Amino acid sequence: MRFALRYLWAYSAFGLGLGTVYYALTQEWVGSIALWFLGLMPAIVALWWARHGPSPAVREADDPEADPAASAGASLGSFPMATAWPALLVAGVIVIGASLVYGLILLPVGAAMLVWAVVGLARESRG
Amino acid sequence: MSVTTERPAASSAPAGRPDNGPVAWITTTDHKKIGVLYCVTAFAFFLIGGALAGAMRAELADTGSQLVGPQSYNTLFTVHGIIMIFLFVAPFGIGLANYLIPLQIGAPDMAFPRLNAMSYWFFAGGGLLVLLSSFATDAGGVATGWYLYPPLSGPRYSPGVGPDLLILGLALVAISTLMSGVNVITTTFLMRAPGMTMWRLPVFTWNAVVTAVLGLVAFPPAVAAFVLLLFDRRLGGQAFDPAGGGDPIVYQHLFWFLGHPEVYILILPFFGVITEIIPVFSRKPLFGYTGFLLATLTIGALSTGVWAHHMFTTGVVDNPFFSAMTFMIAVPTGVKFFNWIGTMWGGKISFRVPMLFSIGFLLNFLIGGVTGVMLASAPLDFQLADSYFLVSHFHYTMMGGSVFGIFAAIYFWWPKAFGFRLSERLGRGVFSLMFVGFNLTFWPQFVVGLRGMPRRIVDYAPGLGWDTPNLVSSLGVVVLSAGVLLFLVDVSTSRRRRTPAGDDPWGGYSLEWATSSPPPEHNFSSLPRIRSERPAFDTHHPELAIGPVTAPPPEPT
Repeated sequence: MRFALRYLWAYSAFGLGLGTVYYALTQEWVGSIALWFLGLMPAIVALWWARHGPSPAVREADDPEADPAASAGASLGSFPMATAWPALLVAGVIVIGASLVYGLILLPVGAAMLVWAVVGLARESRG
Repeated sequence: MSVTTERPAASSAPAGRPDNGPVAWITTTDHKKIGVLYCVTAFAFFLIGGALAGAMRAELADTGSQLVGPQSYNTLFTVHGIIMIFLFVAPFGIGLANYLIPLQIGAPDMAFPRLNAMSYWFFAGGGLLVLLSSFATDAGGVATGWYLYPPLSGPRYSPGVGPDLLILGLALVAISTLMSGVNVITTTFLMRAPGMTMWRLPVFTWNAVVTAVLGLVAFPPAVAAFVLLLFDRRLGGQAFDPAGGGDPIVYQHLFWFLGHPEVYILILPFFGVITEIIPVFSRKPLFGYTGFLLATLTIGALSTGVWAHHMFTTGVVDNPFFSAMTFMIAVPTGVKFFNWIGTMWGGKISFRVPMLFSIGFLLNFLIGGVTGVMLASAPLDFQLADSYFLVSHFHYTMMGGSVFGIFAAIYFWWPKAFGFRLSERLGRGVFSLMFVGFNLTFWPQFVVGLRGMPRRIVDYAPGLGWDTPNLVSSLGVVVLSAGVLLFLVDVSTSRRRRTPAGDDPWGGYSLEWATSSPPPEHNFSSLPRIRSERPAFDTHHPELAIGPVTAPPPEPT
């Protein structure tokens, strides 16, 4: 995980550095801001990671001598078997988008589908 | 409904729930099924995009009007470009990443299975809107070119709902890519099996991670540009209208901040594919694993600083800066060629179909890469921009590279995914037709480009030296199409024959070859010890492995 952290910091330094060089050479704002954000985004993730540290599962993955048998049976979390909510949610988003083009009459239909799917997803993910 | 999954022991029966009905596919959260859905849907888009390309080449085979008028021709090249870039190559890479990453790192699924399903449906829904925008509107299809540059894509020159639907469709596809990116990165960083350190990750997984990072970086500015364009079109905005204080050049910056990293989003997964294949069929480890990964990371970084080489001819960008950055990116790409050649050098090369497509990839991409370096030179770019030279360069990288990588991946991982082989004999025919057809199609386009033929023209005058190369190019498409048709025949006959493949038909190196074909639900009933970047090879050849690789039986609990 130390490597992943270093990768994020390096990417951040690259974005911030390149953005600064680019601004100094061009005084062009769109590209400069995009490059500075390119530097900021991985820095946010890296800061969070540096504060919280890796989970036990990640420490085990990073151990080059780790033995899978030692952790056999350890919980890896809960995985949903099947769900229809994502398909319904996307259908709702498409109808909302289509309402901008074909008429606002479609908007309540799309919004209802979206809300239904979001509530369904939230309830399902709570088990 | 969900199931709590545990780390697999040395041996336990897979808890499968085989169900292949339509409802099971629509509601699935299994990364393997979602991966297959992605790849099948993307391939369907490839067939549509290919048919549009065929219509364009039929029109250009001879001078005069053959098949379509100017407006329809504009729609053909616009939709062809959008389909191939956003709905075929990139989603196929995401599909492969979905299928392979959990298998390659020893995880039971992607980190966020519902998000994974949602990203597929966003892609499929976005693709549907793109198709509707092109063929189901009264005002005709979108005819702006795949860049959607304003003012051409603005309300004055492109009225009707087509461009609006296209913008919405592309926004949904972008959201899908962002969701997939989050999933790929989280899965790879946090769900690796014990001993699968970052420096033992398979190169495909590494390339998919860098691709995901690029997607997260590159798509938001483009979505911002699309939304502003929609405001301009529908709500009277003036973001890109100079009359209202807007600036169309801002759109170009935002679009190409996606557009150039997108090229690497399209190619990096397939760099990973052929880097998995070449060592297996050379019977050698990858030459320079660390150098290869550092080259991938360098490409990922540099690709975000080259966007405005697409804007050299606007006259408002710093050409030396972008020229230098573009030349620099050729260095890590050259390192990769060194890795591939070094791997094959002295190896016991077996010319099976996946290897043939990988070698085809190397040859084609080399030509695409070298011509890319030519175009990185601003003075040359002023001469060659918007000519057929550019079209050919782009297709040598994207079709000769990515599409050959896609076929290599299909032939390589098909036995793992479905448990039976595709035909070796028909596969060789597919490769031969595609390789010959591809080069017949696109090499003459370099020639007509150098002779001054601009792209995006529906007709040309005779006597300019363009006739014969265009005819050869159109005949090449016929050969290329025959290759794709033969592939469909291969799939159909192999499905009927179902020759069992076994769990590891190629003597593969990475972890997916250590599980059954097709893999069980949640992937592994037991995990080997991981002591190198070739855990499956170590397991099957313990005499050559570094340290003991067979896991001892678990303690009873």
